[in-house]
Amino acid sequence: MAKLVMAAVTPHNPLLWRAMREPLPDDLRGVAANFALIRDTITELGVDVIIEVGTDHIRQFFGDNQPAFLVGKAESYHGTYENEVRTFGMEYSEITGHRELADLIAGRDVLTEAIDFAVSHEWRLDHGFTIPLHYLTPNFDIPIVPINVNSTLPPLPSPRRFAALGEHLRDTVERWDSDARVAILTSGHMATDVGGPKQFAGSPDPVFDAEAVAWMRDGDLEGAIHGCRYERIIEAGNITYQYVNALTALAAMGGVPADLAEATESRFASSPFFMWKAPV
Amino acid sequence: MSKYMIDKFMRAVEMSDAAVDAYVADTAGFVEAWETASGGTDRPTDDRTLTAEERAAFIARDFEALYVLGAHPYLLWHFTEAIFTHEFTDTFGWRDLVERYRAAVTPYGVPDYIA
Repeated sequence: MAKLVMAAVTPHNPLLWRAMREPLPDDLRGVAANFALIRDTITELGVDVIIEVGTDHIRQFFGDNQPAFLVGKAESYHGTYENEVRTFGMEYSEITGHRELADLIAGRDVLTEAIDFAVSHEWRLDHGFTIPLHYLTPNFDIPIVPINVNSTLPPLPSPRRFAALGEHLRDTVERWDSDARVAILTSGHMATDVGGPKQFAGSPDPVFDAEAVAWMRDGDLEGAIHGCRYERIIEAGNITYQYVNALTALAAMGGVPADLAEATESRFASSPFFMWKAPV
Repeated sequence: MSKYMIDKFMRAVEMSDAAVDAYVADTAGFVEAWETASGGTDRPTDDRTLTAEERAAFIARDFEALYVLGAHPYLLWHFTEAIFTHEFTDTFGWRDLVERYRAAVTPYGVPDYIA
């Protein structure tokens, strides 16, 4: 059977792509070090395939058709868009998909009992997916199953649904007849405001950040679900809901304390870095 | 449909270098052309109607007005960034635009932007 060997949560802030260059600015050394730690862990654990849970930023999925949960079933994915090359200096990328695992996750004939997934055979990944891969698998040499979770355009799936997704991913990996070693990678934010009154001036809500780190450090899934109610999240910043993506990783690992739990400070906002290694 | 149309317009501009260039070069002309464009018969709708207030805000490149009208903040910031970046100089850059934008929207808190 396949084995879920690790899960991780990283930021996907595309401003990092511009700013985190050698020589590293002092305020971004912690961010770079945590990306390196997770990258080294992926290598150390011999990960064969990555289930990447992230959020499209109103690029492919707009108000004309916004799925709550969507599984990528493509053989390969093209990364980033013209506007992200223009605005952030990002690079185009080509990423291999993993159709067999995607079919298992989404349901091939009948939708899973856990989540009503949409599927896509044609998906261009934005920075929510490509930034973590640029830092963690820079050669794009590990195939992925991308899963889009709507954390941006209300109405949003509730936090408990994100936990259900994590439990479903763990169950799917455990019943996959394969010797593959699987990682779950999610990306998101701590308290973050983009386009609002509190943008790009450090964390807009350090109290939320501290609580949000503690849920991961302590393995407190129920606390996280309760603490991520919509009204509290919006108070912490208008796109903070992408923090809820992290609940998928916590639930997938059985709600146990993370080996790494940190909100790494930088000039932009605090960056989420959480990681779990499965017991050997 | 109004907030949705604001978001749809901003997205149409920001996602394309050619659209950004055309909007900046002839803002009123671009708005008029966008509203009158036909999408063809294979599309479910071809709704591109802005209110007079929304149209005026886009023609004036008035991000403060768009914020108050309920533009999605994430889209509005990136739209603003796209259409003002060409005005950056040695003495006015990205951080200055951030500060100008923040000062403009702060008095309004967080308007209802759910389309």
